[in-house]
Amino acid sequence: MSFRAATALTLAAALMGSTALAEPGAWTDEPVRIVVTFPPGGTSDLIARILAQYFESEFGQRAVVDNRPGAGGTVAADYVAQQAPDGTTLILGNNAPFTIAPTQFDSLPYDPMAGFTHIAYLGASTPALYVQPTMGIATLDDFIAYANEHGITYGSSGVGSITHILGQAVDSALGIEQIHVPYQGSAPAIQDFRAGVLESYYDMLAQNRDLINDGETLPLALAAPARSPLFPQIPTFRELGYDVVIENWTGLSGPAGMDPEMVQTIHDTVEAIMEMQPVVDQLAQWGITHTVMTSDEFTGFVGGTIETWRPLILSANVNGG
Amino acid sequence: MDIIAGFSHGLLVALQPENLLYCFIGVTLGTFIGVLPGIGSMAAIAMILPLTFYLEPTSALVMIAGVYYGAEYGGSIASILMNIPGTPSSSITCIDGYPMARQGRAGVALFASAIASFGGGMIGMVVMAVLAPVLAQLALNFGPTEYFAVILLGLVAASAVSNGSPVKGVAMVVAGLMLGTIGVDITTGAERFTMGIPELRDGVSLVIVAMGLFGVGELIVSIKANASGAHQNQIDYRQFYPTRAEWKAMFAPILRGGGIGSFFGALPGTGQTVASAVAYAVEKKISPARARFGQGAVEGVAVPEAANNSATQTAFIPTLTLGVPGSASMALVIGALMIHGIVPGPRLLVDHSDLFWGLVASFLIGNILLLILNIPLIGLWVRLLQIPYKYMYPTIIVLICVGVYSINNNVFDVWLTLAFGWAGYLMRLFRFEPAPLLIGFVLGPMMEEQLRRAMLLSRGDPSVFLTRPISGVLIVLTVVLLVWSILSALRAKRRMRGAMRSAE
Repeated sequence: MSFRAATALTLAAALMGSTALAEPGAWTDEPVRIVVTFPPGGTSDLIARILAQYFESEFGQRAVVDNRPGAGGTVAADYVAQQAPDGTTLILGNNAPFTIAPTQFDSLPYDPMAGFTHIAYLGASTPALYVQPTMGIATLDDFIAYANEHGITYGSSGVGSITHILGQAVDSALGIEQIHVPYQGSAPAIQDFRAGVLESYYDMLAQNRDLINDGETLPLALAAPARSPLFPQIPTFRELGYDVVIENWTGLSGPAGMDPEMVQTIHDTVEAIMEMQPVVDQLAQWGITHTVMTSDEFTGFVGGTIETWRPLILSANVNGG
Repeated sequence: MDIIAGFSHGLLVALQPENLLYCFIGVTLGTFIGVLPGIGSMAAIAMILPLTFYLEPTSALVMIAGVYYGAEYGGSIASILMNIPGTPSSSITCIDGYPMARQGRAGVALFASAIASFGGGMIGMVVMAVLAPVLAQLALNFGPTEYFAVILLGLVAASAVSNGSPVKGVAMVVAGLMLGTIGVDITTGAERFTMGIPELRDGVSLVIVAMGLFGVGELIVSIKANASGAHQNQIDYRQFYPTRAEWKAMFAPILRGGGIGSFFGALPGTGQTVASAVAYAVEKKISPARARFGQGAVEGVAVPEAANNSATQTAFIPTLTLGVPGSASMALVIGALMIHGIVPGPRLLVDHSDLFWGLVASFLIGNILLLILNIPLIGLWVRLLQIPYKYMYPTIIVLICVGVYSINNNVFDVWLTLAFGWAGYLMRLFRFEPAPLLIGFVLGPMMEEQLRRAMLLSRGDPSVFLTRPISGVLIVLTVVLLVWSILSALRAKRRMRGAMRSAE
């Protein structure tokens, strides 16, 4: 071994020692199932498939995606909560079963905090407010004035969905009353918007890239803590003086009671994948911003969103019993 | 790009050995998945989705499309032979296909279904090649008021589907509408008729209703019939090919079915089931053979098959040109393109013309492959009917249970299917027909959703249905159809009374 190689090895070892105790790698001999709360095809499903692919190709950990859609993600969460905490069943969680459902439903079959081991935060995408470019509205102030004078309709991706909660948050922060028109997903809402029957809607930024570039829709404000690299010209609600931050987060969790060492291994493996260039590029294209969180920070984050979103969900009056 | 130049360029793309191979894999897989009850194209596409990550986008799309329309070919096979809809949209094919099989004409029915699917597929392809931009624009003009009006028209047309007593027919439509309200209300989030069962929050799946009412119900009836000593289905091997008269009778229905199917396929959210239901209902109103519908009319097999297959082709129009997926399977198509960095939308036709025209041309190749695949297999499929019941029925029940379980990986769905099976058996016992129920179940929730949305958007003003031009025309058409059917029913009654009087 040459001197240079030896130095590199020592350096690498020192670096790894300073960042984490566990090493990224396989954590079980069994194949791992990543449960997804949506049917195949959406961004969430594709993220799970990318994770499964890299678990296997880079770390030798066999993994498959298991789609269990239904009842706002609660079917999948309930299923995972009941599995053995041996690292073979994980869930690609999001705001629906973990942030919204605990307030939306009086009786949940699982506990979003005590029933799970929250392992790794993957990232979040940001929704924005869009209006018809032909309405003579150019700024958020125009929007408020219009809404107060004529009333305004907005499309969401469903009752109790993140875009509905955002609509409520905007109502209370801006002191207006929009007319909520729920759809089954954002695609049909955008279709009605383009048909000219819907005046405004809320949706993720990346999915509207082409419409924005073609001038078919006008984004007014972003519900993120900071501006987006995709469209740096769009201001955030916060900059404009309204404290509206609602992000669509995604993370990886497992059943309660997982071994801390295994949790660390999974966490570090996920982090290693999130830093790989093809993954970074793909997530950027889907408008997902990754932030590094430890498992403890992620657990605190999930608990925090339940509390901060509760008043908004209650004001949206979406109680499903 | 000029259509002919585009299409011939597409043909070159589709004929590349690689694309040809994936097209073949797709349609073959689709056919077999379609035959299996309960497992639809959606499950098959989900299975091959990871594979498409490694393919060229065009090959991926061609293969997925092959599975999608191949399943419609296969779906009719189980419908005709065993009264078990292989795909939800082929439940309409059961209505005439199964009686044909009972009469020993299963071969003719399968042949008719393959030819009609091919004809419908070709119509869908031409519509897609010529009208994609126009239809996309039209679909863009369809807001909630227009959707409501077109569904209302469909429902009024469908009220003719029942064969027996009109009162029982209406009762079944209403029962279907009521079943459709189960689940979380889309507009308010309130739970309706869920009885606290979380599995019912998303409503009852169409697959469960179709499989239960047609499939399981039929099995129970057959077991009872066999116990009382009835014979196994008779098969006449000489009668595999339609007669000249049957060819002639099928021609116009295929054209009409293909046309109606193309329209509903291009409208996001309606899809093949609505297409075949409405096409069947319309045909039943205007066909010279309407009296034989429901008793094994070859037209009654051809129409829904032409409609659902043309709808599977035109379903790609809104998916690719608007980025609006009409169904869960189409959402998978968007997912498969997204992983390759292609965003379906208005610019796809320009930016990825290879992909678009390659797909259109692959419809031609895929449908020819399906014809080559299906016609020689007819003999084999028909022979399935000769498997003794004591082996066949348990196998079918197992296949149904596995298929239903695979949708959501949920045992509750299996129990629900068996419950619908008993309901279907009781309905048959008391001569209630399942077809109107299915149509109410499919159209009802869609109609309610669009009506309430239209009212929200108009801020409670119902006059929008008449003042918006497209919906106004559709509403007028509906009223005309309604008045015409009431008048013709009254006239028929008067004629009958007159005939009775003159006979006295």
